[in-house]
Amino acid sequence: MEPALAYSHAKKAGRQAGRRILSIWLPDWPVYRLARACKLDVAKPLVLRAARQGGERIVALNEAARALGAARGQLLADAQAVAPGLSVFGEDPDADRLALKRLADWCERYTPWTALDPSPVYEEPDGLFFDITGCAHLFGGETGLVQDLMARFAGFGFPARIAIAPHPGAAWALARYGRRAITLIGPDDVRSALDPLPLMALRIPLSMVDDLARLGVKRLADLHRIPRAPLVARFGKFLAQRFDQALGHDAEPISPSAPEIICRTRLQFAEGLVSLPDIEQAIRLLCDEMVPLLKGAGRGARRLQLHCFRSDGVRFAIMVGTSVPSADGAHLAALFSDRVTGFSHNQGIGGLEIGHGIETMVLHVMNADMVQAHQEALEENARKTRLKRRPADLGFLVDRLGNRLGFERVGRVCPRESHLPERAVVFIPAVAGIRPLEEGRDPHDWRVEERQRVGRPLRMLPCAEPVDAIAEVPDGPPRRFRWRRVVYQVAFSEGPERISPEWWQAGASVFARDYYRVEDEEGRRFWLYRDGVLGRETACPQWYVHGVFG
Amino acid sequence: MVCAWGVRVSQIFSAELAVTSNFSFLRGASYGDELVMTAKALGIAAIGIADRNTFAGIVRAHKAAKENDLRFLPGVRLVTQDGFEVIAYPTDRPAYARLCRLLTLGNRRAPKGSCYLTLEDILAYGTGICFVAMPPRVPGKLFTAGLARLAQAFSGSVWLGMARLYGADDARRLKALSCLSDDLQVPLLATNDVLYHEPERRQLQDVVTCIREHCTVKEAGFRLEANAERHLKPPAEMARIFKGYEGALCETERLVERCHFSLDELAYEYPDDVFDDQLAPQALLEKLTYEGAAAKYVMGVPEKLQATLAYELKLIGELSYAPYFLTVYDIVRFANEKNILCQGRGSAANSAVCYCLGITAVDPTEIDLLFERFVSAERNEPPDIDVDFEHERREEVIQYIYAKYGRDRAGLAATVITYRARSAIREVGKVMGLSEDVVGAMAKMTWGWSSTGVSPKRVREAGLDPDDRLVAISLTVASELIGFPRHLSQHVGGFVITRGALEEVVPIQNAAMDDRTIVEWDKDDLDTLGILKIDVLALGMLSCIRRAFDFLEESYGIRHGLRTIPQGNAAVYDMLCEADSVGVFQVESRAQMSMLPRLRPRTFYDLVVEVAIVRPGPIQGDMVHPYLRRRNGEEAVDYPSEELRQVLSKTMGVPLFQEQAMKISIVAAGFTPPEADGLRRAMATFRRNGTIYDFEHKFINGMIERGYEPDFAARCFKQIEGFGDYGFPESHAASFALLVYVSAWLKCHYPDVFCAAILNSQPMGFYAPAQLVRDAREHGVDVLPADINHSDWEAKLEFVNAVSGSEASAGFPSYRKRWGSKPRHRCAVRLGLRQIKGLRAEAGGVIADRRLAGYDSVRDLWLRTGLSPRVIELLANADAFRSVGLDRRDALWGVRGLGGWGQHKKGQNGKMPATLPLFAHLENAGFQSEPDVYLPPMPLGEHVVNDYATMRLSLKAHPVSFLRTSLQARRVITHAMLDEMKDGAWVSLAGLVLVRQRPGTASGVIFATLEDETGIANIIVWPKIFERYRKIVLQSRLLAVRGRVQKADGVIHIVADWLDDWTHELTSLTDGRVGMDEHGLAPSDGVKNPVGDPREDGLRKLYERQLRAARLMPKSRDFH
Repeated sequence: MEPALAYSHAKKAGRQAGRRILSIWLPDWPVYRLARACKLDVAKPLVLRAARQGGERIVALNEAARALGAARGQLLADAQAVAPGLSVFGEDPDADRLALKRLADWCERYTPWTALDPSPVYEEPDGLFFDITGCAHLFGGETGLVQDLMARFAGFGFPARIAIAPHPGAAWALARYGRRAITLIGPDDVRSALDPLPLMALRIPLSMVDDLARLGVKRLADLHRIPRAPLVARFGKFLAQRFDQALGHDAEPISPSAPEIICRTRLQFAEGLVSLPDIEQAIRLLCDEMVPLLKGAGRGARRLQLHCFRSDGVRFAIMVGTSVPSADGAHLAALFSDRVTGFSHNQGIGGLEIGHGIETMVLHVMNADMVQAHQEALEENARKTRLKRRPADLGFLVDRLGNRLGFERVGRVCPRESHLPERAVVFIPAVAGIRPLEEGRDPHDWRVEERQRVGRPLRMLPCAEPVDAIAEVPDGPPRRFRWRRVVYQVAFSEGPERISPEWWQAGASVFARDYYRVEDEEGRRFWLYRDGVLGRETACPQWYVHGVFG
Repeated sequence: MVCAWGVRVSQIFSAELAVTSNFSFLRGASYGDELVMTAKALGIAAIGIADRNTFAGIVRAHKAAKENDLRFLPGVRLVTQDGFEVIAYPTDRPAYARLCRLLTLGNRRAPKGSCYLTLEDILAYGTGICFVAMPPRVPGKLFTAGLARLAQAFSGSVWLGMARLYGADDARRLKALSCLSDDLQVPLLATNDVLYHEPERRQLQDVVTCIREHCTVKEAGFRLEANAERHLKPPAEMARIFKGYEGALCETERLVERCHFSLDELAYEYPDDVFDDQLAPQALLEKLTYEGAAAKYVMGVPEKLQATLAYELKLIGELSYAPYFLTVYDIVRFANEKNILCQGRGSAANSAVCYCLGITAVDPTEIDLLFERFVSAERNEPPDIDVDFEHERREEVIQYIYAKYGRDRAGLAATVITYRARSAIREVGKVMGLSEDVVGAMAKMTWGWSSTGVSPKRVREAGLDPDDRLVAISLTVASELIGFPRHLSQHVGGFVITRGALEEVVPIQNAAMDDRTIVEWDKDDLDTLGILKIDVLALGMLSCIRRAFDFLEESYGIRHGLRTIPQGNAAVYDMLCEADSVGVFQVESRAQMSMLPRLRPRTFYDLVVEVAIVRPGPIQGDMVHPYLRRRNGEEAVDYPSEELRQVLSKTMGVPLFQEQAMKISIVAAGFTPPEADGLRRAMATFRRNGTIYDFEHKFINGMIERGYEPDFAARCFKQIEGFGDYGFPESHAASFALLVYVSAWLKCHYPDVFCAAILNSQPMGFYAPAQLVRDAREHGVDVLPADINHSDWEAKLEFVNAVSGSEASAGFPSYRKRWGSKPRHRCAVRLGLRQIKGLRAEAGGVIADRRLAGYDSVRDLWLRTGLSPRVIELLANADAFRSVGLDRRDALWGVRGLGGWGQHKKGQNGKMPATLPLFAHLENAGFQSEPDVYLPPMPLGEHVVNDYATMRLSLKAHPVSFLRTSLQARRVITHAMLDEMKDGAWVSLAGLVLVRQRPGTASGVIFATLEDETGIANIIVWPKIFERYRKIVLQSRLLAVRGRVQKADGVIHIVADWLDDWTHELTSLTDGRVGMDEHGLAPSDGVKNPVGDPREDGLRKLYERQLRAARLMPKSRDFH
């Protein structure tokens, strides 16, 4: 019988002649991606879980886990009952996608035309398409290219399957359902290579595969036998289109990926700029031009790149980052100026050379976040009347310090919710602590929200120091104590404030502390505590001084 | 008592009035009884428990306080929407009623589990209530204003709660409160705002706070308390820390003196308007009882029974329970009128009055009754009558009750859902910040365990280090959390009905189900207070039996009811002795089936024993084997003592029933009857607090003192322990035995009727439709496939001669027919459309209604029924078009051709019109003629798999039969051949796994039931073997076993020695050929290790595919 569905598109096919498409499939990509990222041992059973229908299910797993009897789609609890000892991790589709995109970029070493496979069998892309037409000879032919690719992927720890065919549909099908890990077929062998493959090789939904299987259509070969019209009436054009794409009757382009640039400004100069003030001036111009672009999009720059093209054909780039999204031209320019001061005519300070001058400068915003609009006028007013800090002001300082010294070196203390005084503050990178005012609560407020109307000492001792004290039992304040060989007579006292240990911390004390604010006869004020509740916890509690007021 | 400076502290009256129990879910960290007992021990004079917007915990505390002889104030902590907190104690019964109304109001307008109140509500309902306003840490304007309004409205009844919680500013805070109290003329009241009974509970309190706040303990910060001071403190300590505020301590006494209300005042009033009769309830009850007796005993009521009735009625009269009996009678009468089958169960079956009223069905002349078990004057508890109704029609009964008494007088009892081992560990692990897999591993340790903690040994087995700090803490805290109430849920069917308004007795909440309301107390609470509860339960078997009776009348013209089935039929007992009991009520489980041939029941009482013996009680007490030995005459029947002869004579000297165990504790261990009852309750509820060990000591010593063997004493106690979980009194067993007999009678004499009835009552029972159908066919019943032209929604009976013989038997494999030689019935069972997965009842109804002379094509069905192509596809998939000459594939092709499928998109529902109405009439004229399409015929194996996929059963063949050739080559025998095997022989078997069980009573042994085309085989897997083949045992659908045959009393087991998973072999069925195909699409050897197998590259995705094929097989039912 004449194959009814495989009608010919002579024109399209002609245009596609000689095309060579490589499809690479990375089975269980998320697991191996994670294993590489976190340096996990792939010989151990690893599975990724995610909330799916009916609870936590396994969404990807490695060979070792499969050998123990776990399977994709299985309920995690079931899998653990069968195979105790699975290492379970959460899925991270964003990271997977990003890593795959990076991998695709890296593969541009083979061909500029690399793309993520847009038709995954499951939910997220797990393969790549390369258009290697005319590229293979650079790597010793298709066999050489594929072997090189395989070896490198194996080096990364990614199992892969590869097929090269005259069009994406066939390459996709053979990479996934071919008999071998590597399949290379010419234009004349497509039909015979595809015929025995199951229908899933067509990139159609599994439900459609099931429906067709029930009608006895299980392989691509079976599809040839069915008249096209009734088939399309029952399963839609999509099936026919996929079938045509597999056989190469229907064109399917591959679009390469490129990095995203959010917005850019550009300046060209008649003569190369050589003086530092000129350069700074130019930067300022570029930044100012950027401001309306950013504001129009309601965003603020987080990462910017300045490309300087020298007249002698050399290009260099400077990257700066900000701690808060910024659309302030002066601020952005200042960040660059700090870096550009390192420029010089000859090789030297900072290693950047202006040489014969800079002809062109291009400023790219690589990364931007949404910013909330401010009422400029009102804020100006507020700043004039009250010297109130704006978080943005602090942000400018942190940016400038950070861009010079490295952001990891700029830190600040931050209040932490803990009843224990020595745990109540924490050092954090300054960049992390700066956030816009939220819900009327000032994050820099050091008062411990309303819980205490009684303050704690401004000066805390790095370590509480033991003292000898005489006090009323069981929980009275000290009457007299000796600290650093000086005896103090207590005149006034307040307390106790009882703080129990954080029992969940390793090495936590078992004693609760009774803190007292005391004032001696000469008006010196101390913060003392008794370690342990008398009777309940200890028979003879030790006293400490933990801080000094004033 | 005068409170003044200098009074000795021990004389200070001290009451703790702001106590939160763990019924303030995820806030309080102690049980009510712990708080009460600690208060008593510390010398606190009175305790008031006030949970957050609920009375759910007060009954337990009330009971504990009564037992410990402590003054107890039931209260509630009212928390308004804007955060104003005030504790309310009712002074008298009307004030309590108002509080209940207030809470009901708040509950009913909030979603389940919360309560929305405002200060205005409190003001509106506050008369007669003593208020203690609880200030926040820093009393703000909101609090001051609220307090001022409250003080103004209820001057003299409002206090300002003052707690000293060891903050840095305690002194200033107390002073500020004192000023506030002077300003507003509201006296201060000293309290410790208690969250737990002892400081050691701080950890648990921190953890529950984190669970509530959905954070880890490290993130919790200031949400946790700074210290562990919110525990109960002795009066002297209170006096010390409130030095300078002695007046505030004395105020507690004033408040306590003002509140007279006790929960004991909720004297329960039975609804008395059940009948409009002029007679008083007692007289009416007597009249109805004697009328019923006369109707039941046509030959005259036996004298003994008359005496019993007189005695029971006298006792009922004395305790004035008559209205209760009448209420139940009324519900049962309603059910009878509506032809809803019902039967009383439980201890009510001990009452001859209940029997005469038609509530229960156990003839008091046949079974010795123990009326005291049901109603006793000393226990002073209301009788508890549980009635089972057909599960599908119970809703009618419930709605009747609502309609008759109104929602303000009837409500469902609550069930307190508590933390079980698994949920406790999960929650605590999450709070402790343990990783998901560690938490998972910890939760898994509790597999099959319930309410006890986890031992270090199990921890190590799970691959965790019990000495690890976090793991150790988590396990300790989790074991404390086990048993904590988590939320209230609705009881399965316990109805509370009152004479007055229910919401004045107990607050009412919304239930999760629409149109349902629940009260805040569970059945134990209701018991404690003596409040009437009627259990309206659902029983699937009753639905099945009612259907069977309908079929009998319709097809055979025989009218039967539960009580008219002929008793003592030898054929029925013969059948049961052979363990031929698939589908029979209660005795169809594997354990029961292996017990039947050993027990060989011949009389009704044997059935009672049969039902009761396979329960945790007798098994844990190791009473089963002695009983069997004595019954088989292998051991002499003797009694440990003369006094026990009376107790145990019915069961050959072996205690089997709950009552017997209780009686032993009285007769042999010297317990008083209330003590014995306390023991039973202790088993069920208070497992955690160690009282059980006191009982154990007393019980065993008591028996040894009276000269019993220590071993016998220990076993008796173990048995009582077993009853704790699943109490099975004799009367209850007797009620069930009656249903056992009825269902067995139906199955024995009318297997066709029984099969159709039980199929229509699914889901119920132990077996899936496939096994029920198979069993019916083994008994010679013809089962016909579901078909668009023959089937209704439900299965029905067809006269065999009306069906062409060829259709009935064509293609059916020859089943073993035990009863085949002698036909006892005339009908064939036609499967209903309900068997088709995914098809809805309305669709089934439409198909049957519009059938007329029959459908002649897919298109005809579609046009006449107007069903969407999706629905018709379900029918095609189920192969229901055979009568129009289409097999599954052709029908599917036809359905697809109806159109409306278009582009294959997500969410496509196939409802798009396929043909414009204008052209509809042209359909038959070939308007849309298509070229003929050749579809390859579907192999039988694939048909069978698809049958299973769409209907969970196949009439065409058994899946395993297709593998027989290859199985034979591997020397695998059929299950039928097991009969001929000798005890101890080695055999290999393979079959679909029907059931996997790991009973708690069998110390880790796994029981599995396999099925092949010839029958069923029972496999035993010992723990050692299980550990080795764990994965295979738990996962296989098609399981291969090699092992030794064990035969005893006609019961055959195979003790597994080697197991393998052959599930992948089923894949070959969908591909229509067995074995490998040249393109490697269905290779069977590599499938287990598909991806990356160096031998085979072409196996990608096959695993997924194979799993899909295996998924089509019905999943086994697993119990642990």
